[in-house]
Amino acid sequence: MLQTGKSASVRRGGPLEQWTERHLRYLMLAPTVLILLALTIFPSVYMFYAAVHRISPNPDLPWEFVGAGNFARLISDPQFHVALRNTVVFTIVAVTLEFLLGLGLALLLDRFIRRLSFLKTVLMIPMMLPPIAVAITWKLIYEPQFGVLNEIMFLLGLPVQAWAGDVNLAMFSIIVADVWQWTPFIFLLMLAGLASLPVEPYEAAALDGASSWRQFWDLTLPFLKPVIAIALLLRVMDALRLFDLVFILTGGGPADRTKVLSLYIYQVAYRFADPGYAAAMSLFVLFVTIVLSTWFMKRMRLAE
Amino acid sequence: MATIRTRSRTREMLLRLSAYLAILVALILTLFPVYWIAANSFKFDIDIFAVPPEWVPRNPTLKHYDEAFVQRPFLRYALNSFLVAIGTTVISVTFGTMAGYALARFSYPWQWRKQISFWILSTRMMPPIVSIIPLYLFFNYFDMLNTKSALIIAYTAFNLPFATWMMKSYFQDLPVELEEAAIVDGDTRWGAFVHVALPLARPGLAATAIFCLIISWNEFLLSLVITLTEQSQTLPIGIAGRVTQYSTYWGEISAAGFMACVPIVIFAFLVQKHLVRGLSLGAVKG
Repeated sequence: MLQTGKSASVRRGGPLEQWTERHLRYLMLAPTVLILLALTIFPSVYMFYAAVHRISPNPDLPWEFVGAGNFARLISDPQFHVALRNTVVFTIVAVTLEFLLGLGLALLLDRFIRRLSFLKTVLMIPMMLPPIAVAITWKLIYEPQFGVLNEIMFLLGLPVQAWAGDVNLAMFSIIVADVWQWTPFIFLLMLAGLASLPVEPYEAAALDGASSWRQFWDLTLPFLKPVIAIALLLRVMDALRLFDLVFILTGGGPADRTKVLSLYIYQVAYRFADPGYAAAMSLFVLFVTIVLSTWFMKRMRLAE
Repeated sequence: MATIRTRSRTREMLLRLSAYLAILVALILTLFPVYWIAANSFKFDIDIFAVPPEWVPRNPTLKHYDEAFVQRPFLRYALNSFLVAIGTTVISVTFGTMAGYALARFSYPWQWRKQISFWILSTRMMPPIVSIIPLYLFFNYFDMLNTKSALIIAYTAFNLPFATWMMKSYFQDLPVELEEAAIVDGDTRWGAFVHVALPLARPGLAATAIFCLIISWNEFLLSLVITLTEQSQTLPIGIAGRVTQYSTYWGEISAAGFMACVPIVIFAFLVQKHLVRGLSLGAVKG
């Protein structure tokens, strides 16, 4: 091949090619940026507009401007407070359980199953499954009359329960199904984190006679911190948007015990046909998400 | 992890034993629900309602598969799910790969690279419940409710940022020298991307595409709001539609639910090497 320097390659082709080549960095980025702008800016602006109006279910009636009225309702609406509390309880309990189980399992198995990738993939199956399929599976298991869980309770000599239909057990039932589906996620990320730990500090610690408990607190946990931060935040963001499991398992009941924010917003927007108020609640959720994800992104920068 | 030399051998033995026990329990707990939905999909109604439950179907039948996929439109739902997933994946991976490459390789004025990267990530974080109201009103206005195109547009909103970050992460792992060599040899910048970087990133491309397929296939809330007709509804909506206030068609939804899981399990095995990166949006390299 003839000698062709960088300058030569730029000079090749017609003016169109040269222009394309010069602006390539913008041209390659443009479609994604434009699509995402259209798909996020429009909804956000529209939400603000909708949130300050009362929107009648009748499309022929004009929207009535109510200013901050919908936001004021957030403070006085007891249903919203119930939904908010349920979401917070679900998020804290489910993510904590998933974290403890996932980390514990990863620590225990790290030394023994490193090479069994098939086994790992089998354990990963729950989190890949469609949430709706997971929901109907657990609905079948929880079924009070012929469900398999009550059969197990019976065999163990324990009282049978209504599970998802019981006022006190409904949230617990949702949490168990979520823990079943998402513990593998924490487990997988923790295993990846553990596999990338440096060896030398542990050798030094072992020489100094540090107990394995000390090694865990002083070495393993600090090294895992970036991975833990990412795993927890992704889980928290996901838990905040919980919808499918509740929709199928309990529909928010009994007695609103499992009514979470996503479900309440959905009900207000469609069943009660009050999109203006639903928009105000969505903006609240968006605000919480932005605060959390900003924090998350700061952690990501640390991890890079 | 480094070797933790414990004082006694017994303790090491106990630890190993508890690890095996933990694997066994975890495997049983993981697989039983999946087995249970599959087992029930092959039972006659009377056996589904049996007390005590039939642990293994005694009279296996394909009746519910016939009900769901022949008599009721679940095949149609599955096809809709598939078409929407393919459409979303093609759009997201095509544009996401280009954007991911640009963000991994090019420099921009005023820290745009960083700003745009994080802005794209933040769009991925947006909960779907936040966008359903404007999307519903938008598609209603343009008469696009109950169309697969509307679903593809809605799903692209969260698959495109995902694909961008995944591909950015893969391109950052590739050595830039090969592309530089191609340019020195007379290739254009675009040519270096197409002829050198893309072929090297093929495993990453495949993994990203499969993740997009899974995410779209599993999606429920947006489809619930946007589609109301058989011609446009996806599999999860079809399944949820057979769980009514008055009765639940257990056999039918078990059959459809199990069939919804089968492709996902196959996909999971195909991307097993990329799972960690895919699930952490490229942040953790497993």
